Amino acid sequence: MKSLNFSSRDIVCGALFILVGLFFAVQAYGLELGTAVRMGPGYFPFVLAGILVILGIIVIIQGTQIEHEPMGPIAWRGMLFILPAPVFFGLTVRGLGFVPSLFLTALIAAFASTKMRPGMALLLVGGLTIFSVVVFSYALGLPFRRFGPWLGQ
Amino acid sequence: MELFNNLVLGFTTAGAPWNLFFCLVGVILGTLIGVLPGIGATATIAMLLPITFQLEPVSSLIMLAGIYYGAQYGGSTTAILINMPGESSSAVTAIDGYQMARKGRAGAALAIAAIGSFFAGTVSTVLVAVFAPPLTAIALKFGSAEYFSLMIVGLVSSIALAHGSVVKALGMVVLGLLLGLVGTDIYTGTPRFNLGILELSDGLNFVALAVGVFGIAEILRNLENEHDRDVMIKKVTNLWPTKQDWKEMTAPILRGTAIGSALGILPGGGAILASFASYTVEKRMSKTPEEFGKGAVAGVAGPESANNAGAQTSFIPMLTLGIPANPVMALMIGAMIIQGIVPGPNVATEQPALFWGIIASMWIGNLMLILLNLPLIGLWVKLLTIPYYMLFPAIIAFCSIGVYSVNSNVFDLYAVAFFGLIGYVLAKLRCEPAPLLLGFVLGPLLEEHLRRAMIMSRGDATTFVTRPISLTLLLLAAAVLVVVLLPSIRKKRDEVFVED
Amino acid sequence: MRKILISLAATATFALASSTAFSQGYPERNITMVVPFAAGGPTDTVTRLVAETMSKDLGQQILVENVGGAGGTLGASQVAKAEADGYTLLLHHIGMATSATLYRKLPYDTLNAFEYVGLVTDVPMTIVSKKDFEAKDLKGLVEYVKANADKISLANAGIGAASHLCGMLFMNEIKVPLVTVPYKGTGPAMTDLLGGQVDLMCDQTTNTTKQIKGGTIKAYAVTSAKRLDALPDVPTVEEAGLPGMQVGIWHGIYAPKGTPTEVTEKLSASLQKALKDPNIIARFAELGTVPVTDAEATPAGLKSKLESEVARWKPIIEAAGQYAD
Repeated sequence: MKSLNFSSRDIVCGALFILVGLFFAVQAYGLELGTAVRMGPGYFPFVLAGILVILGIIVIIQGTQIEHEPMGPIAWRGMLFILPAPVFFGLTVRGLGFVPSLFLTALIAAFASTKMRPGMALLLVGGLTIFSVVVFSYALGLPFRRFGPWLGQ
Repeated sequence: MELFNNLVLGFTTAGAPWNLFFCLVGVILGTLIGVLPGIGATATIAMLLPITFQLEPVSSLIMLAGIYYGAQYGGSTTAILINMPGESSSAVTAIDGYQMARKGRAGAALAIAAIGSFFAGTVSTVLVAVFAPPLTAIALKFGSAEYFSLMIVGLVSSIALAHGSVVKALGMVVLGLLLGLVGTDIYTGTPRFNLGILELSDGLNFVALAVGVFGIAEILRNLENEHDRDVMIKKVTNLWPTKQDWKEMTAPILRGTAIGSALGILPGGGAILASFASYTVEKRMSKTPEEFGKGAVAGVAGPESANNAGAQTSFIPMLTLGIPANPVMALMIGAMIIQGIVPGPNVATEQPALFWGIIASMWIGNLMLILLNLPLIGLWVKLLTIPYYMLFPAIIAFCSIGVYSVNSNVFDLYAVAFFGLIGYVLAKLRCEPAPLLLGFVLGPLLEEHLRRAMIMSRGDATTFVTRPISLTLLLLAAAVLVVVLLPSIRKKRDEVFVED
Repeated sequence: MRKILISLAATATFALASSTAFSQGYPERNITMVVPFAAGGPTDTVTRLVAETMSKDLGQQILVENVGGAGGTLGASQVAKAEADGYTLLLHHIGMATSATLYRKLPYDTLNAFEYVGLVTDVPMTIVSKKDFEAKDLKGLVEYVKANADKISLANAGIGAASHLCGMLFMNEIKVPLVTVPYKGTGPAMTDLLGGQVDLMCDQTTNTTKQIKGGTIKAYAVTSAKRLDALPDVPTVEEAGLPGMQVGIWHGIYAPKGTPTEVTEKLSASLQKALKDPNIIARFAELGTVPVTDAEATPAGLKSKLESEVARWKPIIEAAGQYAD
């Protein structure tokens, strides 16, 4: 039964290709396809999406021939703190202003590591914020508001 | 003789102490800002541009050229040290450069990049000086049919970027092509694949995508098992290339310079293919192709040289036609206009001191770059000894600033997080990000040129084979395909025989 | 919610505060001027020149912020939503008027979302062709185009670009539909015109003057009322027989709706001063344009320009049937 030893990695990867391909294909089909001579906005993406689906299928079929390999640990804590950090910056940079927004962004990111202790984090993030404000806001004069309207300024 | 006089004029202009000083300041600032993670050459130049407005036109442009080289090298530095390319070209450097760094050879990788860039810069500066006008005439022969065929060559070559499964790499290229089409169809104005989000109507931001799939994904991978990295740092050995390295890097640097110089001349986006093309060639020529993706010296030396040569020769269409070949050149033209110089076919005759001064300062900028950066390599490598948990909050902060500063668009920051997640998932699935980025930059160009060529030929598809340059390129693509696929087919057959 | 409360409070404070006291202090800190296009383009150049000169007069730095995307509508909608305190301004070109029709789902109401500071400049366009095109003058061009309509390709720099607008106007005037070839921006379009891959284009003097002078492309007419100092040999569209082609890429400065009149008046006065600055006049001349008159660099001048241009382009864009969303 060795031939049925599917690699979960390749199945997920192939499925991902197929899903994304289908998404683009459906979206492209809703656009004007046109002809090969007078291509519409949907023609080229529709062809590509079809190719991606086929490649996805091949990946899955090939996956049956390769030995199973463990996926390794997943950085849940990392994802929990790293991914929201830039989003937080985006949500607050205009409202809170550059200084507090950057400080909090870096602080959130800092806690992605289990090795980070609160005191250390504050020190590091504080220094980082001062450096960034001096370089980007004062020296380079980027048009960031240092403290935003949410703080009553 | 005239060339000699022109070069003397150029070096007298650029060599004036005041101008040398601004060139040096430019190189230093460009390196320092460009080395911040997530801040690539375009963002660095956009940030530093206003500083140059206060200067005399010649000094201002010389300083800007310095910033440009500094920013580019700074970008390669972050690509090598922390796998964070800020530009499509340094995405290729990241592949083997970062692997070298992981093996404790960050110093050698940085030195190889600097030496390759310097050599390429020197050769291509001479090219610009001697051949600018005739090369421009050739470049103008490229219409959409030729560009389409050129992009096909690029696409076929991309298979070599894979060092795992070829099918997965192809899938990543196609995924990249599709992502590159998100936005608005330029031919009809129809919005596509933008999920109704107005911020996506000009497409996904390249920097957000690159920072996400390379940088953020790499941080997440490092956080999986926090003990791995400490081990790696202790192994930092010599800072300089060994004798063996010198032997391995010479030919790739020469080839990279030739490839980059040729592609950079094309104003329609040839330069973006330079580093990818060089990587393909090196992997093909190498006696040990299995080393590629694991820290091959040639995989850093070739693409870095190609990249710098391409960057240099892309000044040709800008200086002789006034046409920007890439966003960085668009910024340079903006700076020139603000200085009261409108680049165009007459700049060389109307303002010879300025024209030749810029060309001379290209070489001086490259020289200063290597003089400044070789001693700094020790410092950059030391950065790696900072504990990782202290490094990555800074990386996240600088990425956020860099991505935001380009268009002041908060949506790009959400895209960073989204592609960070996607990049991490893809990494877990052993899908490599470099082919994705190549697809992303090629996608819109491929479609644009294909459709434009069809419009121009009024729907006659034979246009691709009746135009000689286009036909030559297509034949080249076919040849590359055969060469690339043959060994793997043969290998498969061998495997079959072994199993038998 | 918090943001809304604070902005309500802020509005109330402004309403209560004596408006003269407010304007005496203005500006007390840096002003941000949004350009809805990427750094390095012609509009960015105009903005940086004007911002630098006005900064000297106002005694506070005007920072230029590039908010590019969606044909300028992203930057415009950001300013439309900004606080109406005079510290966020917008410098936009003719696209402000045309996007009202080109975009059917704009997040702001073009005619009611802004206060006006004034017009800045009006950049004329040029009708140009590849170097070896047969026609000798505009009349000959129109005849040739009519006779060979199926062979002619007309380039533009993308939907909503100046060259797209001018091209639509051209086809509208000569009543002949041509094959249009869109590009991503002016640079690639100009490259193909230089290389003879396309035949015709109509674009801003900012992009074409150097090429025309260098003899790399052929110019048939300028779309301004008078001939340009930079191109004295090129006739106006009126002289050449297409008076309806008079068009310019005008630039104006706007502020969010509700910005106190004292502030816009003060900015307008500063703008008028800046437009007399010899450096600005010289730089504008190199770009093939001149600053507008004092009467146009006023809130009323810009308001009437915007209103008339929205009305002018609506039927032309609708006739072409191409929208940007």
